[in-house]
Amino acid sequence: MNLKNETTGMIVTGAVIGVIAAFLVLFGNPANMGFCIACFLRDTSGALGLHTAGAVQYIRPEIIGLVLGSFILAISKKEFAPRGGSSPMTRFVIGFFVMIGCLMFLGCPFRMILRLAGGDLNAVFGLLGFICGILGGVFFLNRGYSLKRTYKLSVAEGAGFSVVQAALLILLLAAPAFIHFSEAGAGPGAQHAPVIISLAAGLIVGGLAQRTRLCMVGGIRDLVLFREWKLLIGFVAVLAAALLCNLIFTVTGTGSYFTLSMAAQPVAHTDGVWNFLGMALVGLGCVLLGGCPLRQLVLAGEGNSDSAITVIGLMTGAAFAHNFGLASSASGPTLNGKIAVMIGFCVILSIAGMNTFAGKRK
Amino acid sequence: MIYIATFYSHFGAIRYRKMCEKNHFTAKIMPVPRDLSSSCGTCVRYEGEQAFPESEYPEELEQVVQLTENGYQTLYRAKDS
Repeated sequence: MNLKNETTGMIVTGAVIGVIAAFLVLFGNPANMGFCIACFLRDTSGALGLHTAGAVQYIRPEIIGLVLGSFILAISKKEFAPRGGSSPMTRFVIGFFVMIGCLMFLGCPFRMILRLAGGDLNAVFGLLGFICGILGGVFFLNRGYSLKRTYKLSVAEGAGFSVVQAALLILLLAAPAFIHFSEAGAGPGAQHAPVIISLAAGLIVGGLAQRTRLCMVGGIRDLVLFREWKLLIGFVAVLAAALLCNLIFTVTGTGSYFTLSMAAQPVAHTDGVWNFLGMALVGLGCVLLGGCPLRQLVLAGEGNSDSAITVIGLMTGAAFAHNFGLASSASGPTLNGKIAVMIGFCVILSIAGMNTFAGKRK
Repeated sequence: MIYIATFYSHFGAIRYRKMCEKNHFTAKIMPVPRDLSSSCGTCVRYEGEQAFPESEYPEELEQVVQLTENGYQTLYRAKDS
């Protein structure tokens, strides 16, 4: 595929994903949360009883679909490549703190775009922080940062995470008593599109993201490193398409899906400093991981066990965030959350330094 | 001949480009082409009379392919990759 076709493909993919995300809200997902990898992993953690925040417990079919969509497409295109062994414990820890950053801001990079598309100006602070975090990560990349090489693994190892997702789908459909689901009206966990629609949306977006390598962090990183716009165009296309849909829904009287303001935005707070710092931590961590949370799910579907470990780190971070009062709410960030974000910066910068300057001495 | 080398880290690519330039190969760093790999990492595209600028393969080198009329021909792949 030549560059022009790849760019066109990226624009179409971004637009389709933006439209799907907007329609998921129409079908029942929380406002400005058609997709949010961090929120949805947090909900799944809660459903499995890893945390007990009753407002955010649901096995999100979108996550299952993203992984399985990538898995199915990778298999069909002969791109399924079981591999891993690139500093898995380090990736787990970075994933953990990326989630702490996400839950400070109240959204992953994907939801940050969707919040912008809904007119949430708090996300502007998040975007600025995200860019600064990415620039920080690029600083280390250019000076020798590496989590060391990956190795070929068995098919069972590479497919394990997708099998787990299939098992989660069975648990969602069977809804046994030991799985926790937010009760109606309890909060975001109780707001969801019908399972079949969410699952289909996940499968489509997972497949598209696998084909195009769409990554919310990769776009800004590639622009800085190579002056390469292609991935960033996907990011912009998601924003433009979701914004257009929200405006159409609002103008046609379907509901209020676009409100340009900082105050009273859905599942958001107005503390600009901590919105900035939360997403700065996310940007920094994601560059060091090699991709945003969406990209980690897609890579896990392709057979990358390092990305699977990262996702488990994200889910563990979500559980800690709600068990220890680290997650923000509409009323703002918590003191515990602020301390956790600062610890996150210390830990991730230490990891970056150790894997940059220690490697250079060899 | 045109070659593309992929790496396990971005810095590995930077070092390889410097190695290419030291040996008078024309080289540039760029994202890995989608039709070569689903990885979104960094590669070095370079031109030269021979496939490898130096006799030893750097530890960070994942693979080297040559551009042909029919696509890519693999010349080197790291063990167990």
